[in-house]
Amino acid sequence: MTVLASVLTALGDPWDQGIMQRALLEVVLLGLVGGALGCWIVLSELSYGAESLAHGMFPGLVLAALTGIPLLLGGAAGILVAALAVALAGRVPGIGRDNAVAVVVTTLFGLGVLLALSPSSPPGIQGLLFGDVLGTSAGDLLDGAALAAVVLAALWVLHWRLLAVGFDRLSARALGAPPLLADAALLILLALAVLVAVQGLGNLLVVAVLVAPAAAARLLARRLLPMMATAVAIAIVAGIAGLYLSYYVRVAAGASIAGFMVLAYALARLATLAESLRGAATLTEAN
Amino acid sequence: MSALVEARGLAVGYGAAPVLGDVDFALEAGERVGVLGPNGGGKTTLFRALLGELRPLAGELTVAGRCGTVPQTERSRLDFPVSALDVALMGTIAGRPWWRRPGRAERRTARAALGRVGLEQLAERTFGELSGGQRQRVLVARALVQEARIVLLDEPFTGLDAASAERLEALLDELASEGRGILIATHDVDQARAWDRVLCLNRRQIAFGPPAETLTREVLAATYGGAIVTLPAEDGREALALLPPHHCDHEHSA
Amino acid sequence: MLMADVLDAFQLPFVQRALVEVLLLSVAAGALGTWIVLRGLAFYAHGVAAAAFPGLVLADGLGFSPPLGAFGVALLFALLVGRLSARGRSGHDSLTALVLVGALAVGIVLASDVFHSAANVETLLFGSLLAVGPGEIRLAAVVAVLAALATYLLGRRWLAVGFDAGAARALGVRSPAADAVLLVLIALAAVATLSAVGALLSTALLVVPAATVRLGTRRMTPWQLGTVALTAFEGTAGLWLSFQTNAPPGATIAVIAGGVFVLAATARVSAGPLRRLLGDDAAPVAAAATLRGGR
Ligand SMILES: Nc1ncnc2c1ncn2[C@@H]1O[C@H](COP(=O)(O)OP(=O)(O)O)[C@@H](O)[C@H]1O
Ligand SMILES: [Mg+2]
Repeated sequence: MTVLASVLTALGDPWDQGIMQRALLEVVLLGLVGGALGCWIVLSELSYGAESLAHGMFPGLVLAALTGIPLLLGGAAGILVAALAVALAGRVPGIGRDNAVAVVVTTLFGLGVLLALSPSSPPGIQGLLFGDVLGTSAGDLLDGAALAAVVLAALWVLHWRLLAVGFDRLSARALGAPPLLADAALLILLALAVLVAVQGLGNLLVVAVLVAPAAAARLLARRLLPMMATAVAIAIVAGIAGLYLSYYVRVAAGASIAGFMVLAYALARLATLAESLRGAATLTEAN
Repeated sequence: MSALVEARGLAVGYGAAPVLGDVDFALEAGERVGVLGPNGGGKTTLFRALLGELRPLAGELTVAGRCGTVPQTERSRLDFPVSALDVALMGTIAGRPWWRRPGRAERRTARAALGRVGLEQLAERTFGELSGGQRQRVLVARALVQEARIVLLDEPFTGLDAASAERLEALLDELASEGRGILIATHDVDQARAWDRVLCLNRRQIAFGPPAETLTREVLAATYGGAIVTLPAEDGREALALLPPHHCDHEHSA
Repeated sequence: MLMADVLDAFQLPFVQRALVEVLLLSVAAGALGTWIVLRGLAFYAHGVAAAAFPGLVLADGLGFSPPLGAFGVALLFALLVGRLSARGRSGHDSLTALVLVGALAVGIVLASDVFHSAANVETLLFGSLLAVGPGEIRLAAVVAVLAALATYLLGRRWLAVGFDAGAARALGVRSPAADAVLLVLIALAAVATLSAVGALLSTALLVVPAATVRLGTRRMTPWQLGTVALTAFEGTAGLWLSFQTNAPPGATIAVIAGGVFVLAATARVSAGPLRRLLGDDAAPVAAAATLRGGR
């Protein structure tokens, strides 16, 4: 009994502090947006795009931090520039889109690093790279909640159109769901989601919440809505686990959250592998 | 009665150069028209033009009615997490204001359409887990939900067993008898002989008309090029056969 | 800027070492970069370099050879992504992104909380060209030789597969072994660039120069020679500039390389500049189209 009690105390302990409460709320927001939108990113094979946009926005974040304008604004401008640059580079004939994206991202990310690590920049820009979930302020939470509401509402409204396009791009237009509009909508939502998540996970790790929970859920669920619910649950549980780890072991919070998300994917993968092995074993027995 | 689809001197392509030209044909209500041609002949390209996805590079194309489509198989993603009912429900998108989600009435329509194609029991099954013939019928149900007056089927019989193919054909006959216009791309010349008209394509239109008059040796030779062989037949008449289509150049990007 | 100034900087032994490193890397990156661009392996190159990061941290913390640790993990990445993406429902791109971000997270935790090399994280992520030692130079030399040799021996196969994987198989050009060699070599080259430009900017050497030269030529040999020359030029310029401004060299090289690319691309499309580039699509649509085609 005392063991149970002490476990319960240990579980409850962290949440007495305001810092941890805000971090918890941030993690929930992050999980809601990342898990739900992530499903569309994984299904539309936009993971590289998500990674690129997150990296490409870095100079915007750094400039905002250096000049003192809100990070949200800087991030939004950064994403806009990155998306435009990617669109332009994709049209340069002869090098292929994959390479074009790589060129843009390398350049923009290099620019951000140059600004962040130049001797005249104040220290602490690392927070932009790795996130600072424990530094979430009430204002950050409000911004994040507003953006999250927009993303979730848009996903709710656009659900069937995104579904038709994702399922079969070429018939979608005839069904009343123009593929290019769906693409553009996903891109804008992706930008918003990156803005929500960058506070907690930072520029380098934000892609974790956008890809890992959804990729794990895809292995476990067979319908889209359950898949989204699973992804959100995985993201939130991984986020909370990461907060515990950082509270008790003093490990970087953003990295441990991202780590748990990827771990969840690895576990889901193992589970499906084990299942298919078992299925194969039953088959051989039957023969 | 005016035609559901009418093409005059139509040319379509993916860039500036057309991959299919000189297309002149009409699809009337209640007709089944077979679209014949070799791989790369332009069947899918024609369908994409009818769906409004490719703009005509030359000529005119009028499409008087909503198009439902049963795309070439591998294109619909088999690992996409949707049920047969979800797929049928996609047919209701166009008929709804953009902020509304499908309601009870739409679900009823979708279930009824699945019932018409004989799949009521499998409505909750994952689309990718259905057999090839069942998947084609789900997509036909989607066209029914759309209330499509024109139904385009891109090689729907490829890979179906005889029973499934028969079942699908009966369904197509039924749709045509309701006054819909049906365009069916196929590799099976003999099957097309049973339909109302055939449209032979090989980068351009070779011929269009009732199969009995249209499917001559010359037309088939022009349509299929070297892929056609003559089989000696027992009863004295010669039979024409196509070498099996090779699919290596036929990967459609999803 | 006086020429003497420029030469002055290159008198210092550590700058000379950095220069040798950059020149050796140019040969490796130039030879392999063209293949990366031709075969659309940019995301792989990026992923393999990022994945090497925890290996670097581990080696740094445990005190064995950093390139060994990095190469071990990079090889693991090549195997994981290569194997797992062959089957399974999750897309190849998701997997690359996942392994990449997982490796970063592990590396950060290892660096900042296990080995307490927090000050080192930035160096490991963004390189320290001005602090390269003889070991790193040796590695770069080995990779340069291997890359040149493999290009000479296997180039024909890589080229055939580069244009059309299906046709290459039909022609009897068997690709798996040659492909594996290419993937491993890219992993090696990525590891070699780590000390100079870091885990997150290795594409500045491995992809950007090759993509830039590609704008001007379509033939393989001029493309490769041009890439080596351009990489050497951009690397040297970045080295000198970062020495003058005290800025991180990897980031400086990345920005210079990007700038040269922009100039080259502008020159290339100057016929109908922005109108052609922008086309008639709205920008988000074009961006979306490019990003979804990314993989
Ligand atoms: N997305 C595309 N972009 C460019 N060319 C294409 C595309 N799809 C098909 N084509 C070309 O158009 C021609 C006709 O192809 P298609 O209409 O798919 O033939 P079919 O369906 O009769 O087999 C082929 O030569 C093919 O290479
Ligand atoms: Mg076709």
